Amino acid sequence: MTNAGATAQAIAPRLKLSTQYGLLGALLIAPTVLIFCAVIVYPLVSAIYLSLFSIYTPTLKGSWVGLDNYVALLASGEFWNAFWVNVVWTVGTLVLQVVLGVALALLLHQNIVFRSLARSLILFPYFMSTVVAVLVWRWVFNDLYGILNHAMMWMGLMSVPLDWIGSMPNAMISVILVGAWKYFPFVVISVLARLQTIPDHLYEAATMDGAGWWGRFTDITLPQLREVLFIVILLRAIWDFKEFDLIYLLTGGGPVTATQTLPLLVYKHAFALNEMGGASAVAVLMMLFMLGFMLLYFRYGRATES
Amino acid sequence: MTKVTFERVHKAFGAFVALEELDLAIRSGEFVSLLGPSGCGKTTTLRMLAGLEQPTRGTISVGDRVVNELPPAERDLAMVFQSYALYPHMTVAQNIEYPLRKRGVARAVRREQVLRAAAQLQLEALLDRKPRQLSGGQQQRVALGRALVRNPAAFLLDEPLSNLDAKLRAHMRAELIELHQRIGKTMIYVTHDQLEAMTMSDRIAVLDQGRLQQFDTPLEIYNRPVSLFVAGFIGTPAMNLVKGTLKADGNRLVFDAGGLSLELPPALVRRDVLREGGIAVVLGVRPEDVLLATDGERATVKVVEPTGHESIVFFDLMDHTVVGRVGPDVRLAAGEPVGLTLNAAKLHVFAAEDGRRLNADLQPPATQAAPSLVA
Repeated sequence: MTNAGATAQAIAPRLKLSTQYGLLGALLIAPTVLIFCAVIVYPLVSAIYLSLFSIYTPTLKGSWVGLDNYVALLASGEFWNAFWVNVVWTVGTLVLQVVLGVALALLLHQNIVFRSLARSLILFPYFMSTVVAVLVWRWVFNDLYGILNHAMMWMGLMSVPLDWIGSMPNAMISVILVGAWKYFPFVVISVLARLQTIPDHLYEAATMDGAGWWGRFTDITLPQLREVLFIVILLRAIWDFKEFDLIYLLTGGGPVTATQTLPLLVYKHAFALNEMGGASAVAVLMMLFMLGFMLLYFRYGRATES
Repeated sequence: MTKVTFERVHKAFGAFVALEELDLAIRSGEFVSLLGPSGCGKTTTLRMLAGLEQPTRGTISVGDRVVNELPPAERDLAMVFQSYALYPHMTVAQNIEYPLRKRGVARAVRREQVLRAAAQLQLEALLDRKPRQLSGGQQQRVALGRALVRNPAAFLLDEPLSNLDAKLRAHMRAELIELHQRIGKTMIYVTHDQLEAMTMSDRIAVLDQGRLQQFDTPLEIYNRPVSLFVAGFIGTPAMNLVKGTLKADGNRLVFDAGGLSLELPPALVRRDVLREGGIAVVLGVRPEDVLLATDGERATVKVVEPTGHESIVFFDLMDHTVVGRVGPDVRLAAGEPVGLTLNAAKLHVFAAEDGRRLNADLQPPATQAAPSLVA
């Protein structure tokens, strides 16, 4: 600040006021631009650069291969399988998160007993470290001594224990369930915050106009939630799409490659197959998919501004 | 055409009594204002009628039907909210159409009725706009349109003009009066603005602290307020109120207030309220009944507020501040000595202890002499 001020003053007599302001502005945003370049632009460019080489991870030595990594990936069944698994996981967990999140937000918006306590407790899964949460869930899902199998057999819902993590489609269902459990509180707090700002008068007017509870939900609540739901769904879609730790810790991508999403594939290429180049190529392709979400976000932002 | 009746309606929120034993009979086609300061119970009254609140006890009827147990939508009442409560994501046309849509009216009929309501309120050009693209006055008209289109038995209006600027408010006031004359429906109007109540209503119900003070025509309320509260609340500038003692001295009636002594018309108050040694009263006189007179009691001009068509003048009369209004041609300056008399035909006397009106209220003779002021 002091430096910027002093510089601006030193050159003040020779420059027009508007130029001085422009210069000061540039100086003030310079730190942000530098940090942005260091932590975002450099890694991005270097990932793209690396993806054009065949690199052995332990030594980081390699040779120029051009687009060969991409050609190999796009022709491989494993890549498209990971992409498909990624889509199934993202859509599955996202739908559950949103439905569960909106339903609980509506419930917590009502005058129920222990509302404040419930509002705090609901955030618990979101705050919990992923490693701890997944360890607990692995214990719940365990086919030999897991409480889930035990409880379901005790209630007579099944006769033999199920392998919740080691077989399909159970593994995918388990991952989706744990993902929804872990991240639905984000939907709850966002939606609840919006619900609290909807004026009561709108509901009263609708009541007098003849709307029942379902009419009030579809005609008042849902349209009022539209904007926040768009943002929440978009953000959660981006975050779920690149989710790594939860899936890696719960199933490791298995059985075989049944829950191996793109982030897990990046990890596999980089550290299991020791191909940093191939891993970078997967990451770059993933980024291209996510670009789609980003464009949607920008377009929506511009639409709401106008 | 529908009358609206409140019978011993009581509303308490926990220990707080919002409305106490209200009895109110509103005639069919009448424009009635519920007037009072905030917290007086006027909005609660309206919301109970609408069905948005339940009375603690008592009966509310619309027409000949008791509506206590009916849900809001089945009471055949339309409400205009203070905030307008327009549905923000719907266009003007969809807003107006909404109550019809919820009642299962056919699309073609809906369209026609929306257009008719829009024409009545000059909204035709705005039908495709969203509420946020409208001015306050336009939003107000859409809210009215949404009420109008239902053709309800009665309209409930909750401070509908309070969010508008002064000029627009005057304009919408006239529009509402005109609308009421045209459709002739019962309208119940909640306001804290006495000017709105006075100018628009057939009758006004003045409420204070959950109690109905007076229910009468605007002129009757202005000329014969039944309590100190009504006297002070109605009228701008407010009625001059002077505390003092009222004594009967033979055939004379004398008001004393620390240095100020007035002989009042003997028939002004009911004889039965007078006590040996006098009673504590508050004497009320409206600003227009404070008259300049060369032979009147001596007073000094303190402040002059010219408004163009008249001037509001604050006088110092024996250490009492008295407000008067004088014509635009009367030029007065601060510090100027003047003579004042009070219009004896228009004096109000209230008991100091409970504020009730003590006037005998026999039609005073037109030739009544002005009270003489004795210092």
